[in-house]
Amino acid sequence: MEIAGKIAEFLFGKKPGRGMMLFGLTIVLIVLIMAIFAPWIAPYDPTQSSDDVFAPPSGEHLMGTNRLGQDMFSRIVWGSRIVLYVVFIATLISMAIGIPLGLVSGYYGGKTDRALSVVMDSIYAFPALILAIVIAVVLGPSPLNTAIAISFVYVPTYFRMVRGQTLSLKGQLFVEAAHAIGAKNREIMFKYILPNLAPTILVVFTLSVADAILTEAGLSFLGLSVTPPTPDWGYDLRVGQPFLLDGYWWLVFFPGVMIMLLAMAFALIGEALNERVSLGTR
Amino acid sequence: MHGLKYASVNPMKRRYLPALLIFLMVFSVVASGCIGGGGGEEKTSTIVIGVTDKVTDLDPANAYDFYTWEVLNNVMEGLVKYKPGTLEIEPGLAEKWEVNEDSTVWTFYLRKDLKFADGTPLKAQDVVRSIERVMKIQGDPAWLVTDFVDRVEAKDDYTVVFYLKQPTSYFLSLLTTPPYFPVHPNYAPDQIDSDQTAGGAGPYMITKWVRDEELVLEANPNYYGEKPKTEKIIIKFYRDASTMRLALQNGEIDIAWRTLRPSDINSLKEEGKLKVIEVPGGFIRYVCLNTKTEPTSNVKVRQALAAAIDRKEIAEKVFMGTVEPLYSLIPNGMWSHKDVFKDKYGDGNLELAKKLLQEAGYSESNPLEIQLWYTPTHYGDTEADLAQMLKEQWEKTGMIKVTIKSAEWGTYVDYARKGQMQVYLLGWYPDYLDPDDYTTPFLKSTANSWAGTGYANPTVDELLTKAQTLTSQDERAKLYEQVQEILAEEVPYIPLIQGKLFVVTQENVKGVIIGPDMIFHYAHLYKE
Amino acid sequence: MARGLGQYILIRALMIIPTILILYTLVFFFLRILPGNPVMAVVGTKNIPPEQLEHLMEMAGLNKPLYVQYFDYLKGILHGDFGVTLAFPMGKPVWDYISQRFPATLELAIWAFTVSVLLGLITGVLGATKKGTKVDTSMRLYSIIAYTLFIPWFGMMLQYVFGIHLHWLPTSGRLDPGVDLHTITGLYVLDSILTGNWEALVSSIRHLILPALTLGIVLSGAYTRLVRNNMVDVLSQDFIRSYQARGVPDRKVLWYALKNAFIPVVTLMGLQFAILLGGAVLTETTFSWPGMGTFLVDRIDYRDYNAIQGAVIFFAFFVGVISLIVDIVYAILDPRVKY
Repeated sequence: MEIAGKIAEFLFGKKPGRGMMLFGLTIVLIVLIMAIFAPWIAPYDPTQSSDDVFAPPSGEHLMGTNRLGQDMFSRIVWGSRIVLYVVFIATLISMAIGIPLGLVSGYYGGKTDRALSVVMDSIYAFPALILAIVIAVVLGPSPLNTAIAISFVYVPTYFRMVRGQTLSLKGQLFVEAAHAIGAKNREIMFKYILPNLAPTILVVFTLSVADAILTEAGLSFLGLSVTPPTPDWGYDLRVGQPFLLDGYWWLVFFPGVMIMLLAMAFALIGEALNERVSLGTR
Repeated sequence: MHGLKYASVNPMKRRYLPALLIFLMVFSVVASGCIGGGGGEEKTSTIVIGVTDKVTDLDPANAYDFYTWEVLNNVMEGLVKYKPGTLEIEPGLAEKWEVNEDSTVWTFYLRKDLKFADGTPLKAQDVVRSIERVMKIQGDPAWLVTDFVDRVEAKDDYTVVFYLKQPTSYFLSLLTTPPYFPVHPNYAPDQIDSDQTAGGAGPYMITKWVRDEELVLEANPNYYGEKPKTEKIIIKFYRDASTMRLALQNGEIDIAWRTLRPSDINSLKEEGKLKVIEVPGGFIRYVCLNTKTEPTSNVKVRQALAAAIDRKEIAEKVFMGTVEPLYSLIPNGMWSHKDVFKDKYGDGNLELAKKLLQEAGYSESNPLEIQLWYTPTHYGDTEADLAQMLKEQWEKTGMIKVTIKSAEWGTYVDYARKGQMQVYLLGWYPDYLDPDDYTTPFLKSTANSWAGTGYANPTVDELLTKAQTLTSQDERAKLYEQVQEILAEEVPYIPLIQGKLFVVTQENVKGVIIGPDMIFHYAHLYKE
Repeated sequence: MARGLGQYILIRALMIIPTILILYTLVFFFLRILPGNPVMAVVGTKNIPPEQLEHLMEMAGLNKPLYVQYFDYLKGILHGDFGVTLAFPMGKPVWDYISQRFPATLELAIWAFTVSVLLGLITGVLGATKKGTKVDTSMRLYSIIAYTLFIPWFGMMLQYVFGIHLHWLPTSGRLDPGVDLHTITGLYVLDSILTGNWEALVSSIRHLILPALTLGIVLSGAYTRLVRNNMVDVLSQDFIRSYQARGVPDRKVLWYALKNAFIPVVTLMGLQFAILLGGAVLTETTFSWPGMGTFLVDRIDYRDYNAIQGAVIFFAFFVGVISLIVDIVYAILDPRVKY
C-alpha cells in the first residue's frame, strides 16, 4: 500500500507538470480503453466495405467513411490496437537488448565496450527513420516485423543512456561498498546499479514510446507496416491523401490527429516525469 | 497546321510588325528554297504532357516498359507500324515487304530517302546493326528478337532480310516493337546506352532530357513522313497522380496522361471543365492459382474461387468504373475472344462456389484457408483495395478464410517464379497484339514458368503451337477458342478486369489518337 | 592549442569511417535476406527465357558470391565510386542520381533548418524572458506539440489550406513547369540569384515555403526547450546580474545571454540534422520533392541494391560531416572543451 501511495504521489502529487501528467495519462487511458474494448466501442466492422462511400462525418458515421465505404470511426478505434501493439513490442525489444548491453558494456569497459559504443553511436547518429525504412522493407509488412524494425533504431538510445549512467555510478560509494561485502559483478549490476537507473529508464521509455509512435506512423504512411484491411492510423492517412483534392478531409484529418494526440500524451508524461526525476537527483 | 497559325497571334508581334516584316523579307531571301512553305518566324507551338510513369531507359535494346516504349515510338520508327488508331499494319521505314511460303523468310524494302534526325542517312545496314545490337546486348526485351529471329541480313543498301527460327505468322506485329527499331550510330555498339538521345528516324527528336523531371521533343526536320502538327512536346514527370491532377487543373499542363487514379478521373469527369477521353486498353489483371500445391492444386477449389468472384463489383467499387470486367485472358474486342468464365461461372455465383467447395470437402466448420498475395506499389494504389475486395467476395461463401499478404515487387516476382505463392494478383501488358501473347505465355508449359502456376496441359501446348504457325486468322481463332474453353475448365488463372486508358486534356487540345497498341503518337496532337 | 584542435578534428573525421562501414554492412546484408533482386524487379512478369535471365544477373554482377559483391562495392566506395543502378535503368552511375537529388534535399534541409532555429530562438527567448508566466507555459506546450506533429499530416493540412483551398502556394515539386533554370549548384534559390533569373527565384521560393515550414516547425520544438532552459540558466548567472546592476540596458543584457545560451544549441544541431534527414524523407514524400528521400523510397521498390547502399552510405557520410562541423564550431565557440 505504501508503495502504491508513493507511486501515486510521484505521479499525481502537486509538483510541476501535474497538468501535463494528468492530460497525458488521460489520453493514454482513453486509447487503452479504445484498444481493449474495440469490439464494443466500434459501431461497425472496420474491414467491411459498404455502398456508402465518402460519406462525410455524421451521426451515423462519426468520422465519415472512406473509398470502400468503411466506417472511419471504427477503423480509428481498432487502429489503436495496432499502434499500441507495435510500439510496445518495439520498445520492449529495444529495452531488452539495450539495457543489459549498456550495463555490461559500461560496467566492464574495455575493448568490447569501445566496439559496442562505436556500433551503437553509428546507428544512433544515423537518421532513424531511414534505417527503419530499409529494415521494414526487407522484413515485409506485418505488425511484428514493423516492431522489429523500429526496435532496431531505439536500441542505441537505451544503450547509450544506461552505459553512461553505469559509468558514473560505478565509482560511487554504494557500489564500492557492495564490492566490499563480496557481491558478485552480476549482482552489483542488476541489484545495485539497475534500480538506480529506473527513474531515468522510465523517462526515456515514455519519450521513446512517443517517438516510436511517430516512427510507426511514418512507416505505415510509406506503406511498410500493415497489410489491408487491417485498420492502422498511418496507413489510413496514406490512402486518404489522394482524396484531399476532392475535399474528403476526414480521411486524413482524424487518423493524423490520433497519431499526434497519442504521441503527445506520452511526450507530456515523459516531460513531467523528467522534471520529477531531475528534482529528485538535484 | 491549324495550331501553328493560332499560336502565332500574339500582341508583341503587332508592335514590332514593321521590324518583323523587314526581318522576314531578308530572312525569306536567305532561307528560300531551304525551308519551303515552313512557318518561318512563327512561334513554335507547344503542348505539355504530364505523366507519372517514368522513362527508364532510352535504349530500345533494354527498355521494357510501356511508357518508355511510347516515347521510343515517337522518336523512332520501325519497318512497319500500326495505322493510327487501328490494328492495321502499314508501311513504316519499309515501303513494301514480302514473305516466303511458310513465313520464315521476310524481306523488307526500305524507303530511299531515310535519314536520322541529324541528317545521317539510314540504310539497310543500320537496321541490321540495330537488331544485331539488341541480340548482342541481351537486355530485358531481347527475347522479342532472339526467340524469333535467327539472323538478319542487308542484301543491299535498301533491302533487309529476316530469317526466322520457326514460322511466325504474326511477325509484323513483332516488328512494331522498339527492339526492332533502327537506332542512330551513336548508340554504343555493344552496351546499354540509357541516356542516349540520338534516337532513330521518328516524327520527333529529343532536345532535352532531365531524368525524372522533363523530356522535350521537337519535330524531326528529317522525318520522311508528314510533319507533326505540334512542333514541340514537353513531357513533365510527376511523382504522383494528385500532383499531376493539380497541375492539370491549374492549367500548368495541357494533357494528363499515364496514369491518373480512378477517383481522380471520376472527379474530373464530374467537374466537367476538362475533356476526359476514354480509350480501350489491352492490359489485363488476373488472379494466379498455384496448380502444384495444396489446396489450389484441387481443380474444384480453383473453380470455386472463380465462381465466387464478382467482377462487376470490383470494376465499380475498386476501380470506380474505369475498367471493364474480363472473362477470358484474351481481351475484349480482340479477335477470338470469348467470355468463357461468364458462360461457365457467371459473376458472384455463391451457390456454385459453395457446391464446388463442398465437393472438395470443405464446409463452414472446415473452411478453405488461403493466402492471397498482392504487391503494394507496382499496380498502383488500388491494388490493396482489390485484395480486400477479393477477400470479402470469397469470404461471402462462408466457407473460405482469406489472409492477405504482401511483398514488394522485386521479392514478389521472385516468389511467383519459384511458385511460392498460392493465390496471387498479377497483370499483363501485351508485347505484341495477337491472341498468342495472351495465351502462350500463360498456358504453354514451356513458356509460363514466370507466372509460377505450374500449369501444364499437353493438349493446350499442342493447340498453341499449331496456332502459332497457321496463317489463316479464322483457323487460328478456332484454336484459341478451344484453348479458352480449357482455361475456364481448369482455372490456372482467373481473369478479373481489363483496363481502359484515360487521357484528360484542356478543352482546346485536339487530335488524341491512341490505338489498341496503347501507344500515344504525339504527332497528331494540336491545340485550337 | 591549435595542434590539439587539429588532432581532435582528425580523430573525429576518422570516426566517420567505422560509422560508414557499420551502416554499409548492415544494409548490405539486410537487403539480401529476402528472396528477390533488382533483376527480378525489372523482368517482372515478362516471359523472359532462363538463359537471358542468367545473362541479366551476370550483367548486374549478382551471380558472384556474396562476399565478393560485398568487397567489390566497398572497393568502389573507397575510390568514390557508388556503383551503377541495377534497375530502371540498369547501369547508370548511382552518383549521377545522388548529385542530382542531393541538392534538392540540401536546399530543403537548409531552409527547414533555418526556420527551425529561428522559430526555436524566438519561442525559447520568449519563454525565458517571461519565465513562469502563461507565455512561458504556452511556449513549452508549443515545443511539445511541434515535436509530436506528424509530418505527413501537418504537410497535408498546409497543402489543403494554402494549396488546394486558397490556391496561394504550389503543393509539390521545386519549380513551375515552363520555368527554365540553368543549374549551377542545384540549389534553385541560389542558382536563380546567380543567374539573375527572377522568375525562377520567385517560383523556387514559392515551392519551398510549405515543405520548409512543415519540416522547420516540427524540428523547432527541440530548440525552443533548449534555448529557454539555457537562457534561464544564463540569466540567473552572476555576470548577467552584475550587468543589470551596472545599469546595462535590458536589450543588451538579453543579447549577451542569448550569445551564451547559444553554445549548447550548437551541440543539438548535429543530432537534429540526422532527425531532419529522417523527417525529410516524409516531407519529400508528402510534397513530391525530388530529393534523396524520394530517391531512396523509389529505389527500395526496385530493390536496387547499389542505389540503396549508395544512398545510405552517402547519408551516413553527410551526417558524419555535419556532426564533425558542429563539433568543430562548438570547440571554437566554447574554449572549455577539451580535445
